[in-house]
Amino acid sequence: MAILEVQNVSRRFGGLTAVSNVSFSVEKGEILGVIGPNGAGKTTLFSLISGFLPPNGGDVVFKGQSIVGQPPHRIAKRGLTRSFQVVQVFTDMTVLDAVTTAALLNHPMRAAIAKAEKVIDQVGLGHKALETPASLSLQDKKLLEVAKCVATEPELILLDEVMAGLTLAETQAPLKVIRDLRDAGMTFVMVEHVMPVIMSAADRMVVISFGQKVAEGSPAEIVADEKVREAYFGEEDLHD
Amino acid sequence: MKPEFFGILRSPVLWLALVFTAVLPLWLPSYYLHMATLALVYVGFAYAWNIVGGLTGQVSLAHSLFVGIGAMLASALLLRLGINMWVGMLIAALVSGMAGAVIAWVDYRFRLGHLSFALITLAFAEVGELVVLGWDFLGGASGLYLPKDQGNLQSFQFGGSSGYFWFLMLLAVLALGVNLAILNSPLGFFLRAIRGNEGAAQAVGVNVLRNKMLAMAISAVLCSLIGTAYARYLTFADPYLLASPNLTIEIVLLATIGGVSSAFGPLVGAGLLIPIGEMLRGHFGSMLPGLHYFIYGLLLVVVIIALPQGLAPAFSRLYRRFSN
Repeated sequence: MAILEVQNVSRRFGGLTAVSNVSFSVEKGEILGVIGPNGAGKTTLFSLISGFLPPNGGDVVFKGQSIVGQPPHRIAKRGLTRSFQVVQVFTDMTVLDAVTTAALLNHPMRAAIAKAEKVIDQVGLGHKALETPASLSLQDKKLLEVAKCVATEPELILLDEVMAGLTLAETQAPLKVIRDLRDAGMTFVMVEHVMPVIMSAADRMVVISFGQKVAEGSPAEIVADEKVREAYFGEEDLHD
Repeated sequence: MKPEFFGILRSPVLWLALVFTAVLPLWLPSYYLHMATLALVYVGFAYAWNIVGGLTGQVSLAHSLFVGIGAMLASALLLRLGINMWVGMLIAALVSGMAGAVIAWVDYRFRLGHLSFALITLAFAEVGELVVLGWDFLGGASGLYLPKDQGNLQSFQFGGSSGYFWFLMLLAVLALGVNLAILNSPLGFFLRAIRGNEGAAQAVGVNVLRNKMLAMAISAVLCSLIGTAYARYLTFADPYLLASPNLTIEIVLLATIGGVSSAFGPLVGAGLLIPIGEMLRGHFGSMLPGLHYFIYGLLLVVVIIALPQGLAPAFSRLYRRFSN
């Protein structure tokens, strides 16, 4: 059963159509990869789904009910949360406090702290629980971003380029976290630029170009798709 | 509530400090007792302001409005309508709380940035002062003289200077306690998250509007309560002191010098600077007009340059160095 259905969603900024009539659905327990060239509208799409931007048209159905027009905090309460492409930290909160804030969505104070400690261990930030974002590496900040999402106990997480800027080796830790969570029943939609990562992580992929969906399928199908090669990869060979 | 909160409540240092402060009226000469009472008033104001200015990170310049409502409205209700000042104090606090919530709503609805927020709140405060000055019911420009204190507690009269000291101390402790309670409860986490990053806070389910309104309302209610008591202590509700945006500037200054990110910043800031300011006035006030202000200003500039984080964090660093 589809946990999320995006139906003909559009968004214009002045004369520019950032997202145009995009439709896709996400099955419960899968990892859906969303790829596309820079400026294709991927982040806008995430903002439309998570309530940060209202769409000009179309519908977003989460767990059988439309969530269009609801504020982000209410969508988060229903079980859909997002991370941000440019890491958004709570400047002077420790890792533990930041993740506790997220856990407070569904727990009272003490239980939220316990939940936060568990999630921080789970993503491998246990030894840095009392540090502030200023002293964290980019990789750790991204793990913190994932931890905040997970601590709200969502059913669906939208991850916006959590691997960007990391070396291939550095992506292994967050990837393992995501796979473990998926095995525990969580659903993910990931926007990613690091090709080998998204190819190996995603069960299915959607390709966006100039605000429109140009292809959908398994990673193998996507690699073989002519339109995708044109729109996204240009003349370059995929396996470079 | 975070377990740490109850740890602070059990701390012997806290109780010693409270007992020490509470016995001040028993031996302090009246001039110094007045100074200490003023310090308590401003400690209370600074803590009340800190909920918005420190925890939520919004520089509000509206707070003279809430102090003014507490002082002028409660006094007017007593003098014009004969309403008991305890009741007037609560009515004024309710009005202030609602005014605070409305200001926070306006901020959210029109997505004001930091600068616009400061300016809009200042505008609210200016309008508040104009309303007081232009409306005879609230005393107009000449203010409201309260009846002579006859020590009748039921009529909001606290007898001598000791009585007012203890009541204002109670309110200052209330403001401090509310700060600590917020800091260690979900509201404190939400406010700090909003201060750190509003969008990211929303993404993890924080209701930005509700929490900002709540913070502003709590802050306004505390300011209003202290405003009523302060006016009664002075026996004169003076609009140029109690409803003037200058008062807000003073409060912001005290909280900032103390350190807005520290739970004890407002206490340190107001607790030190008010007596220092008063003493400078006592020593230099008669020498050269304005000399005491000059020295006071110079002192503030030096502290801000040397300790941009405020006095409280600097003290705690010192304390840690000596205890090691």
